[in-house]
Amino acid sequence: MSFLTSALLSSSKATMQWIEERTGVVAFAKPLLFHHVPRNAKWWYVFGSATLMFFTIQLVTGVCLATVYAPSAAQAWESLNYIDKEVPMGWMLRALHGWSSNAMVVMMAIHMLQVFLHASYKYPRELNWITGVFLLLTTLALAFTGQVMRWDQDAYWGLGIGAAIADRIPLVGDQVRALLLGGPIIGGETLNRFFALHVFILPGAALGLVGLHMMLIIKNGISEMPKPGAIVVPSTYREGFEERMKTEGVPFVPEAVQRDMVFCGVCLIALVALAAFYGPFGPGGMPDPTLINTNPRPDYPFMWLFGAVSLLPPASETAIMLIAPGVGVLVLIAVPFLSNSGERAPSKRPAMVLVALVTVMAIAALTWEGMTSPWSPVMDGWSALPTPAKFTHGRTPLEMQGAVVFQFAQCRNCHSLDGLGGKRGPELDDVASRLSYDQLVRQVQQGGGNMPAYGKNLDSAQTAAVVAFLATLHPSNEPDAKIPGAQLPPPPGSANAH
Amino acid sequence: MKRAVMFCSMVLCASGCDRPSASPAVQHVALAGELSTQSAFDTNCRGCHSQGAEGAALPLVNANYWKVATDATIIQAISHGQGRSMPAYLASEGGPFTAEQITSLVHGMRTLWGDGQPGGGGGISPVLTAGSASAGALVFSTACASCHAGQGTAGSVVDPMYLRMISDQGLWSAVVYGRSELGMPAWNQAMPGRPTGLSAQEVCDVVSWISSQRVSNEKVTK
Ligand code: HEC
Ligand code: HEC
Ligand code: HEC
Repeated sequence: MSFLTSALLSSSKATMQWIEERTGVVAFAKPLLFHHVPRNAKWWYVFGSATLMFFTIQLVTGVCLATVYAPSAAQAWESLNYIDKEVPMGWMLRALHGWSSNAMVVMMAIHMLQVFLHASYKYPRELNWITGVFLLLTTLALAFTGQVMRWDQDAYWGLGIGAAIADRIPLVGDQVRALLLGGPIIGGETLNRFFALHVFILPGAALGLVGLHMMLIIKNGISEMPKPGAIVVPSTYREGFEERMKTEGVPFVPEAVQRDMVFCGVCLIALVALAAFYGPFGPGGMPDPTLINTNPRPDYPFMWLFGAVSLLPPASETAIMLIAPGVGVLVLIAVPFLSNSGERAPSKRPAMVLVALVTVMAIAALTWEGMTSPWSPVMDGWSALPTPAKFTHGRTPLEMQGAVVFQFAQCRNCHSLDGLGGKRGPELDDVASRLSYDQLVRQVQQGGGNMPAYGKNLDSAQTAAVVAFLATLHPSNEPDAKIPGAQLPPPPGSANAH
Repeated sequence: MKRAVMFCSMVLCASGCDRPSASPAVQHVALAGELSTQSAFDTNCRGCHSQGAEGAALPLVNANYWKVATDATIIQAISHGQGRSMPAYLASEGGPFTAEQITSLVHGMRTLWGDGQPGGGGGISPVLTAGSASAGALVFSTACASCHAGQGTAGSVVDPMYLRMISDQGLWSAVVYGRSELGMPAWNQAMPGRPTGLSAQEVCDVVSWISSQRVSNEKVTK
């Protein structure tokens, strides 16, 4: 017996040696596992590991989902319903993927907040911070493209708004929009594009960045708990740090990793519980803004942006939507360059603590705003607010059908008639004196501003009808907005009596 | 660790190991049965079906409507939708209501706006049946053309785009119930020169003729 064990042991040792000689894998892994970390770090440093765990869950569940998901506009929605209802525990897979995505963003934000409060980004860890910022951007991009994968109404509207933002870019707006959507309107091409982004390009980028981030952690070590008076001086820092790690540090395995494991375990349980209780996200209604029961909302990571947009005065939206995100990213990247030495303790950096506090509170408040009144549309306007009599009398049957389409396609949720309806878009009581027939068609098909593009979701008859109706909305002393040679034939024999 | 596994499996089984119960399902404002008929109608239907002079689709607050239409046809329309713009309200078709809620909504509306009769009256058969387009052409030229053609005050009912929007049932209902608030007569009723309005067959004929004007027979299904 003991002979057998020792024979096995020595042969496995020989195998290890054989592999090690050719790959150097042990030599590579050793510092990863046993590098010294500060003894006093305790529970503060578990958030990064938890983020990594959620990322791993995303990779695993994502690969599983990709085996069943059909990335085509015609089948995506159905295939998600299939996963939910037919694939054993398929709904759980989707739920885990969805909740873990949100959890990853949250955990990453907490991690970032901790790093910011402890000023761990100071010398020599500036690049740790910057790769972190890029990881944040990649993760948000993954969350956004993931929401599109659901190919439901939320996805559709989110895309519509995204396209509208792209549209605002001066000069190249049309091209950026086409690049994003794979065409002028949201269609099958769009889903293909976002699928490629979501499963190849962005995860690849994320993996690379995670590798870089880890490499920098090994290279620069984990920062110590900040102590007032323990000042970072770039010229002497590294020497002192390495010395302290040697004498006071503890090896990552098994000392620090225990806490990581416990925390990750708790996170995992919470994740499974959330997934089991609340189930997967969507898919909501079919990707068709013309169907009933739309209550479009972006996923949580973008809720605060949604909220911000709903608070902005319309005139400033273009500037703010285009410029603010860029400025925000630049500020984040600039953080370690603004000050990379000196005090790290929060008690000595009250201004920075205030900045963090205000940011967190602003994002929380805007998220709340986004959840409660993102577009301030009147969600049941389409089914509750009748077309005022003055806009139905003397209309042709086609124009009347257009008034119905105006309700059916939920235009009323954003647009008011005679003061009743959503205030998200302009009141349309006399829109025909502002816009020509062609412009009305274009507005409905391509959207613009904050209006979703209806594109193919209204067919030519629905578009003709709703535009015929819109064309009658003007003061009674003006003629209807009819342009000969328009894309759609003006309704023959339409009555001009108003 | 063992405990964690146990907890997870408990959680999973609590949820029935099946579809999660609280998955973000259809949200809607009002459910018939829970709320009064009037407020269910106000939140879900009034945007299209006028009450009084307003509104774009066929008025349901119309005694003539409830005299003729039977619960079966009404429930059919509400449950599964009709034409291009009447949404299906049955939960299994993506709508907000259960079958029971739809039935109680219909009974509620009949109590509010009908005359206590179950429908099937009004001197006309309550269903659209096959008609003759050539006979319908004659009906149209004598009964309808004065308003709907040439210098008439009403718009075209054979506009190709219009015909792609409305169902045959919708045409039938427009003729039988009319749109009194817009000046369109109800043709099951007495008319100057037509003491009994149009017969059930004449209505089906004229619908058949209008429907035959659809371009390349693009019929609105349902
Ligand atoms: C999500 C809310 C929303 C919905 C739904 C919506 N719109 Fe809009 N609409 C807007 C906004 C916002 C604008 C202003 C666009 C801009 O700033 O250029 C607008 C602009 C318009 C305009 C141009 C008005 C003007 O004075 O320039 C027309 C016409 C219009 N919408 C018609 C429609 C129709 C028809 C529908 C339904 C098929 C619809 N809208 C659905 C938000 C919406
Ligand atoms: C007294 C004039 C008059 C007569 C006669 C008349 N109609 Fe109408 N009809 C109207 C008016 C007014 C409307 C409202 C729409 C409009 O103004 O164009 C209308 C609307 C309609 C509509 C559209 C309803 C909708 O909601 O889409 C149809 C279909 C229709 N009529 C069919 C007929 C048929 C068939 C006849 C003959 C049996 C007929 N009408 C006779 C005046 C008339
Ligand atoms: C978005 C507009 C819209 C809403 C909201 C709507 N309807 Fe309709 N409804 C229509 C249209 C348009 C038709 C006629 C369609 C056709 O035949 O082409 C119709 C037809 C009907 C019919 C059949 C009429 C007939 O021909 O006998 C009934 C009954 C009806 N609706 C009831 C309801 C009820 C009840 C609600 C609320 C729960 C409701 N509708 C909500 C647009 C709407």
